[in-house]
Amino acid sequence: MLRPKPEWLKPLFPWEQKEIKVNGRTMAYIDEGEPTGRPVLLLSGNPTWGFLYRDFIKPLVEAGFRAVAPDWVGCGYSDHPRVDAALTFAHHIADLVSLLDQLRLRGFVIVGQDWGGPQGVGAALQRVERLSAMVLMNTWLFTGYVGRFHSSPRPWTTWHAPLIGQFFMKRHKVLSHHGPEAVSRRGMTAKEARAYHHVFDEPDSDHVVLTWPRTIPLRKEDRGWGDMEVIEKRLPELAKIPTLLLWAPEDNVFPIEYANRLKELLPHAEGPVLFDRAAHFLQDDRGPDLASAVVAFLRRSLKEGK
Amino acid sequence: MNFITPSPEELSFLRADPLLCEQELDVRPEVAEAIAWAANLRCGRVYWRSGHDHLYALELGDLGKGKPSTAMVYGFWDRYEPRPPEHEIDGDLMDFLLWVAKISGSMKAEDVSRTAQHAGIRAAWPEGSVLRTPEDRFADLPGFPYKPRYEEVEGLRMAYVEEGRGDPILMLHGEPTWGYLYRRMIPPLAQIGRVLVPDLIGFGRSDKPKADPAYSYKSHVRWVRKFIAALDLRKITLVCQDWGGAIGLRVLAQEPERFSRLVAMNTGIGPGLNPGPGFMQWRFFSQRVGEMDVPLLMRNTVLRRKLSNAEAAAYGAPFPSAEYQTAALIFPRLVPIRPDHPGAYDNRVAMEKLRTLNLPVLLPWADKDPITGPWEAALRSLFKKVAPPLTIKGAGHFLQEDAGEEIAGHIRSWMETHQVPGGES
Repeated sequence: MLRPKPEWLKPLFPWEQKEIKVNGRTMAYIDEGEPTGRPVLLLSGNPTWGFLYRDFIKPLVEAGFRAVAPDWVGCGYSDHPRVDAALTFAHHIADLVSLLDQLRLRGFVIVGQDWGGPQGVGAALQRVERLSAMVLMNTWLFTGYVGRFHSSPRPWTTWHAPLIGQFFMKRHKVLSHHGPEAVSRRGMTAKEARAYHHVFDEPDSDHVVLTWPRTIPLRKEDRGWGDMEVIEKRLPELAKIPTLLLWAPEDNVFPIEYANRLKELLPHAEGPVLFDRAAHFLQDDRGPDLASAVVAFLRRSLKEGK
Repeated sequence: MNFITPSPEELSFLRADPLLCEQELDVRPEVAEAIAWAANLRCGRVYWRSGHDHLYALELGDLGKGKPSTAMVYGFWDRYEPRPPEHEIDGDLMDFLLWVAKISGSMKAEDVSRTAQHAGIRAAWPEGSVLRTPEDRFADLPGFPYKPRYEEVEGLRMAYVEEGRGDPILMLHGEPTWGYLYRRMIPPLAQIGRVLVPDLIGFGRSDKPKADPAYSYKSHVRWVRKFIAALDLRKITLVCQDWGGAIGLRVLAQEPERFSRLVAMNTGIGPGLNPGPGFMQWRFFSQRVGEMDVPLLMRNTVLRRKLSNAEAAAYGAPFPSAEYQTAALIFPRLVPIRPDHPGAYDNRVAMEKLRTLNLPVLLPWADKDPITGPWEAALRSLFKKVAPPLTIKGAGHFLQEDAGEEIAGHIRSWMETHQVPGGES
């Protein structure tokens, strides 16, 4: 059984999350809309969960789609393993593949931001016959380009370093307890900020907040390099998949250079369509606008939806 | 980083608390290698003692790669006691991580400290965690006209009075009093030296952290040692009673080169044995009351004279309410009464050191003190150059209050016959 949600969260997040066992661990997910509707997978990244997509659910369902928003294992209301080895890039991909299989999702759409991009695309590549469209927002799918944020000593490579990372990310929860709020462009209410970080209240429950940064492939020896390279090499297989790039250029983490590089690798993609007044968590800053853009794109490219 | 090897005995009284855990040292391998190189370690533990005297260890594990594969940092705390305040641990970890950054070659210590600053991580007492007794509680104290001076120790304000010139005469009070206890001894001793009377943290006009874990035998020793270092006192004549001795004797054992004479009164340093029925009764009583009526306690304990209402009230001045008494309420349970009691091991180490010292010792002792009265012989046996017994007849535990001038007179004449080589006085 999933952990019960606190009362204060319910007005902000009215959906009942379902649970499913993926690779021996519990994954929580929202599943709203007609079961026959085209499944749209809403994939978040570090350190967020399904809550990030709260403005997407209603518009998608009203347009006739089936909105599926899983919490990655290690995040949100899913299990929070304390072991690095249970939270690798490959694990996350395999967990999503397991969800795709168990829910028998066909003709699904991937909507991904941050780690939702590579992990979503990584899973989609395993079931590429069933993939029908992709929306990528402030993410990346490649090695070989490292922006200023990920290469700068403050705070990124310091947060990252052996033992020093444990101090900042685990002992002081600088990212899990402050990340989304700190970069919010819209200005978050205290309850919204709490909605993001209350899932990491339990000590040591935020392991993923450190394994993810350490998976970012900056150098060949890094944990995520091999898996990211596999994804990058297989991108040509997605040449016929309708793809939309939605971008918040004010994001420090994935500035516009990342969109340009994605566009080179996926030249058929629409966009990048730029959204100002938004930073890294653009779904939170500009949720309704992004949701309409996604709905319009799916209607246009898949010729369906109400 | 100064790595040490703690004794197995010391470790047996502590528990290892994992603070930073790296399951896989694959990120920034050059940093991990630099750590292993600097610690001269591939697999196993190195230990160090922090600026708070806490023991820490770095443990590297080798999973067969020929280089460290895992890393843990442990803090070692008294085996069954809550750990010290979190900001102390933060400060100690930051010191270690700054060292890591410095030796890494690829990182800068400044980036680590600025990242911490930016994240609002301050190795300091959190807002509202420390009480300060309002000044007006100390207005018009009978016989105590001295203006307080202050020294900052670990972010806490430590109050003291200073009178006279010359070599320092450092007078340390104990439970549950403050510098006021020494007021009858200050004028006569200020004629022959620089009298310094600090209030222990949690007492008198000094700051009072609210939370229990702030107070340990070790933290009191540390605060006094840092107070002495801040004023850079040397050639000290230490005058102490009760906890003032329990603490002062440990500081003396740690930094004997700063001290030239010792006057210990109705106090002791124990190896962790039952200190006798008088103390055990006091301990039992004190741990159950929840609030101490300090003026009443002083009235009942001062035997040779009658405390005036104003004098008794002066002893209660530091404590406007029970909230201010954390340190006083805790003190009796910090006295090591079992061999494995927190502080017992450190006391045994200190006692070994004290046995080797050659400084002259005077032990004025009250004969009507049911608690520390019986401890004189044990303390006397530690020292080589100890003066013949000096009984303060009819005095109780707070002999400075019973016979302050008399004791000061004894100290003066004893000091004259035990001059410090090269001293001013």
